[in-house]
Amino acid sequence: MERIKVLVVDDSRVSCAMLANMMSKTNFEVCGMASNAADAVLKYQTLRPMAVTMDMNLPDADGIECSRRIREIDPDARIVMISAMKDASLMERGREAGISSFLQKPVSPYELIDALSCIVSDDVKRTTGLRDLYIQSFAKVLRQSLFSLVGVHSEVSTDRAEGSYLDIPSGIAVIIGLTGCPMGRAIVYMDTDTMYGVARAILMKGDDEKLTAEEASDVIEEAANIIAGRCASVVNDLKDVDMRISPPGTIVGKNIRVANFKIASYYIQAQTRFGNICMNVGFAEGE
Amino acid sequence: MDAKLVNPFIDALVAVMPQMGFEVPKRTKMGVKNQTCKSLGVSIIVGFTKGLRGNVVYNMSADAAKFVASKMMMGMPVAEMDEMAQSALSEMSNMLTANAATNLAAMGYTVDISTPSLTVGQDFQIKISSENYLVVEMDLGGQIMELNIAVQA
Repeated sequence: MERIKVLVVDDSRVSCAMLANMMSKTNFEVCGMASNAADAVLKYQTLRPMAVTMDMNLPDADGIECSRRIREIDPDARIVMISAMKDASLMERGREAGISSFLQKPVSPYELIDALSCIVSDDVKRTTGLRDLYIQSFAKVLRQSLFSLVGVHSEVSTDRAEGSYLDIPSGIAVIIGLTGCPMGRAIVYMDTDTMYGVARAILMKGDDEKLTAEEASDVIEEAANIIAGRCASVVNDLKDVDMRISPPGTIVGKNIRVANFKIASYYIQAQTRFGNICMNVGFAEGE
Repeated sequence: MDAKLVNPFIDALVAVMPQMGFEVPKRTKMGVKNQTCKSLGVSIIVGFTKGLRGNVVYNMSADAAKFVASKMMMGMPVAEMDEMAQSALSEMSNMLTANAATNLAAMGYTVDISTPSLTVGQDFQIKISSENYLVVEMDLGGQIMELNIAVQA
């Protein structure tokens, strides 16, 4: 397999080494490193890499200015910004300078590879590999969200969903549509006992305090909405695309069955002391 | 919810269903529901974002679903909701929703739609809105499809 050349622009040797290390196990390779903007422009000209990772803080100019100079030489240059800070204004200015993806330090290997894969592929859309990477990101979001919302630690595992149905004997399923690229849907679900346990924890209600089924399902619906929103944000950050979530459709009852039809679907399961909190994520096939 | 948002969905049904061999659907009932819709047996949920946000549910009995699936597959008998039948129904919801989206665009609402989620079973309620929304019952030639339309600008 031909390796894809990447120029790393960062004034920190540690960052450079970390990025090179992450890429070494993939079909990306670091073809050069630059520690300042002038050097970056020079190396870009001579090395002609397929992609550039750009730090924000450089000794002689900022990463946006450096990107602008590189794009003057090559208007098609593909640049991922990796910065400690990431805010709306930085992203807006970055986009104007032609940066197509924004990551925040510390960058995980799959975020980096996903972002690089995206920008070097002319077709900004998905591959199965990308979907697998999303699922890993979603698993991380689920674990973090459960900790911040419920204050609970969880063991998270992921799996490709086989079988044509998702079956929930009794409990709650919150279905949230994903629109944009990739298009799909996420379902957050759990059994009835887990629903009450999680809702009590979020509302900080004791076991003897009253909690109606409606209140409990409302809490789970909102939590699912937050988790799906964060998942969509992760995809948007990686790819600078516009994935949005629709308002939830919430099913409470018995023998809930949702078809896994014509979608590439995955299970993400978080084991907690309240029970299993699960997410089924499906992306449209063959777009 | 604004009642004028119902027409693009009815128009879609009237335009699309005859192309697949159905009689021209007739509106038999229209009403308001609060927050939840009770699954009639097979419910297909589609999410909307951008110009309008919300959900639309195509809701029908298992018999109506089999009738629709069979008709879409050129009269092939459908004994149960197998993958073929699901495929037919998902395809129908895609066509209807895409057509409705085009109608909405003509009214100035640009929408994005999610993939449909098809649910089977009738022991449950689906909460699709936090307030009142509109429901339209359509007769597809002897079988009823309920359109639950909970979208807003």
